[in-house]
Amino acid sequence: MIDATVVELSRMQFALTALYHFLFVPLTLGMTVMLAAMETVYFITGKPIYKEMTQFWGKLFGINFAIGVATGLTMEFEFGTNWSMYSHFVGDVFGTPLAIEGLMAFFLESTFVGLMFFGWDRLSRPAHLAVTYLVALGSNLSALWILIANGFMQDPVGALFDPDTMRMEFTSFSDLVFSEDAQAKFVHTSIAGFVCAAMFMMGISAYYLLTRRHREFAARSFRMAALVGVIASLAVITLGDALGRADYLLQAPKIAAMEGIWDTTKPPYEPWKLIALPNDAAQRDLFSFGLPYVLTPLVTHTFDKPIPGILELESDAKPRIVRGIQAVLALHAYATTRDPVALAVFRQNESDMGYGLLAQRFAPDQDLAKITAAELPTILDLTARETIPNVFVEFWSFRIMVALGFAFLAVFAFGAYYSLRNRLERHPFLLKLTMWSIPLPILATEFGWITAENGRQPWTVFGWLPTFQSASSHALGYMLFSLIGFALLYSSFIAAELYLMFKFARLGPEGRAAHAPPQPGPTLAGAPGYADKPWQ
Amino acid sequence: METYVILKLIWTLLLGVLLVGLAVMVGMDMGVGTLLRFVGRSDAERRATLNAIGPHWDGNQVWFILGGGAIFAAFPTLYATSFSTFYVVMILLLFSMILRPVAFEYRSKVDARRWRGAWDWAFLISGAVPMIVFGAAIGNILEGVAFHFSWDGQYYQDQSFIWYLLNPFALLCGVMSLALAVYQGGAMLMMRTEAPIAGRARGFAMAGGWLAALLFAAGGFWVARLPGFVLTQPVDPGMPATPLVGSGVAMAVGAWLSNFYIAPLLWIAPGLGFFGMIVGPLALAARRPAWGWWLGALAWVGTIFTVGFAMFPFLMPSTTAPAQSLTVWNASGSAYNLSWMLAFTLVFAPAVVIYTGWAFRIMRGKVKTNAIAENEHSY
Amino acid sequence: MKTLIKFLGLAGVLFLALLLAVVAGDYGPWYFAWLVGTTMIILIAAAGAVLMETQTSSGRRDEEF
Repeated sequence: MIDATVVELSRMQFALTALYHFLFVPLTLGMTVMLAAMETVYFITGKPIYKEMTQFWGKLFGINFAIGVATGLTMEFEFGTNWSMYSHFVGDVFGTPLAIEGLMAFFLESTFVGLMFFGWDRLSRPAHLAVTYLVALGSNLSALWILIANGFMQDPVGALFDPDTMRMEFTSFSDLVFSEDAQAKFVHTSIAGFVCAAMFMMGISAYYLLTRRHREFAARSFRMAALVGVIASLAVITLGDALGRADYLLQAPKIAAMEGIWDTTKPPYEPWKLIALPNDAAQRDLFSFGLPYVLTPLVTHTFDKPIPGILELESDAKPRIVRGIQAVLALHAYATTRDPVALAVFRQNESDMGYGLLAQRFAPDQDLAKITAAELPTILDLTARETIPNVFVEFWSFRIMVALGFAFLAVFAFGAYYSLRNRLERHPFLLKLTMWSIPLPILATEFGWITAENGRQPWTVFGWLPTFQSASSHALGYMLFSLIGFALLYSSFIAAELYLMFKFARLGPEGRAAHAPPQPGPTLAGAPGYADKPWQ
Repeated sequence: METYVILKLIWTLLLGVLLVGLAVMVGMDMGVGTLLRFVGRSDAERRATLNAIGPHWDGNQVWFILGGGAIFAAFPTLYATSFSTFYVVMILLLFSMILRPVAFEYRSKVDARRWRGAWDWAFLISGAVPMIVFGAAIGNILEGVAFHFSWDGQYYQDQSFIWYLLNPFALLCGVMSLALAVYQGGAMLMMRTEAPIAGRARGFAMAGGWLAALLFAAGGFWVARLPGFVLTQPVDPGMPATPLVGSGVAMAVGAWLSNFYIAPLLWIAPGLGFFGMIVGPLALAARRPAWGWWLGALAWVGTIFTVGFAMFPFLMPSTTAPAQSLTVWNASGSAYNLSWMLAFTLVFAPAVVIYTGWAFRIMRGKVKTNAIAENEHSY
Repeated sequence: MKTLIKFLGLAGVLFLALLLAVVAGDYGPWYFAWLVGTTMIILIAAAGAVLMETQTSSGRRDEEF
């Protein structure tokens, strides 16, 4: 018997630790690239102010990076500690990108990040530049392999279920790596990281411009960040569209929940809901308002293709559930008797096996063999309902993310325009807006994560393994222990992180850490003589 | 021999290499963390101690992450079962491990006694606890773990976590692992710090090395009296990788030594271990820390391969359902997966070794106290 | 000798880059777009900074930003 409370607590723990980890990751992905860009300018122009910029933003990056690394440790092991059935079921294919990530990307990033921080006087200028580029490459390659793994959960390609080993076995490396979902998701996520970093740099620079400190430093940082931000936010929107189309083709329930489509759409008039109040229990909107003629071309990129609604998806699922129950029963028989007849029955219904597993939690004693003919319709209804993710959460997290994305584009565009004309300081409102926008891209990426992973429910491996079956069979007390521990530890981390971030951002590029006495001499970057006194 | 069997054997060997890499590189940093409060009496000394491994701890820690990922991919069932059965202990390990990156980055960024003092305690916890857990986990696996599988591949735990925490043999292994880590960390500190830190580190390291030798011997005698596991029927090594089918396994006192009697050449592993643990401290006494460091690495190679040779082909035997014990034959990944991973390892593992070596060469030399005050990014 | 090694190293990097571009271009259009796009983003940001140097050195220094 699977304890539903333990599954829920395991989900809560994974969501908390992953969302928390993801607070720090996008900034890391983007900041490494921004550092590479700044050091490139230092390399080309030789002006010390760009070295100072690389070092100052590098310090803030370091404060963020430490927690990113620390919380990443949890993620690497949490599949094993809390999702044993999942790990057993897909480890053969899902574990591989994680292992390659460590070997190919994280080693690169972590080894060179030490040299990037400590190697300024030990490395030649081109060598240090190369090191910074390798850090940027390493952090983004990390994201690539992690999102390839995540892509497999969304669209399991490149592996087949093997009834002899009771797990999915890896069959095609290129299918896994070039999966449509993984591709679009990697680029979307990596570039969203650039947006986070650009807003972070722009916002802190805006603070200096507002307080008229470090103006030369801030103007340059602002300019570079704003230009990155404009291109990156355009790219994020484009890739978001590509991901939406991939979901339309591969994960119909997710797209239906994202757009709040209860009844299959009637192209081309179907309105795109701007705001709505979806009610999951009643399976209808309490209220909705939308723009006509927008939804169909937006999602399908055509004017005539309908998008299947939730009610249709549920009734389509029922025959699959019936076949799935057959598949699981046959698999059980085959596992205990190795009977070739059972195997043949299983093979016939194999592609619906996941739906049989999904029905298990509603069966008497969670045993599909005990379902009577009288109970079957109720169980089919319940299971069919279960195939749809929570619409309210999906609908709104998607909308918040999209709205923020477009808002960032506007902020970056104005910022870049006034920065290129050197008129920033005449627009304190824009500067204030940028400053207060620093946390928003991170918030948007969190909602993006919720859209992607809540929309995948009720599956851990879409169509194959339900979340309910994936968790480890822990006792309740174990889960309470770890959940409380993570909550305490992570809250104290974020307090320390914010404290240091504010402290060092306020101190600014000229502020030395408290232990080192301020050095006499020119403080204005670019002033003569500065180059003779390297910053360290 | 068919390809699949060769792949399984290669990955078993690579698992050993990975554990050695983890033990040597992460263990060294853990040792430094454990020693921090004892070799550094003033704040300046503690900062020198931390900066001795400052540029490298992050890269070294990837061995730990790679360990998780590689076991996940190469031995999925082992990953799924071991971390879940050892849940509370694993979570303690994670709690202490995640303190460390934050401690490094944050400790010296605020100049306040209580702030730095608190992080120094974090270094002690995040150095000692993971090494004890690492050793204790190996000890627990030698004793056998209480678990079984249901038909669909879900594991069930048959024993309380208290046993895995408080179990004399496992604790002995844990303390031995900590002693070796202290040895390795001390040798590193001798290379990269000046007096008086280096001198204190030498004392702790020598004690650690010899204590490890003593515990290694005690552990050996203990294992001879421990119920080990043997295969009672021949197993097809090229079998589909699943423990659910079951194989003939029996428990017998002293069975872990049977491989050594079958192939006496295997005694070379414990021999190397003892050699490293006994001669290493002598090298430190003669103020040859580089020699001592490599002898420490040799001690780890000897220890981990001794355990591997004793247990082969078992990875994690079950006391409650011995037939479902995990072995290298029934818990590995598929042939296709193992081949791809091997291809990546052949390309990237040498690259990692080369650039890690380069990074150590660039940052070589002793850490100077005044250099720490000048460098903005010092820990 | 040293120049030869440098040359060979650069040639190797170039070869890898080409290989990557061909593979990504054929099988992973979005990966290819990322490679090109990220390079472009870095170059445009750098160009923006260099432009600022010319803007400030052509007599408008210390005006405002």
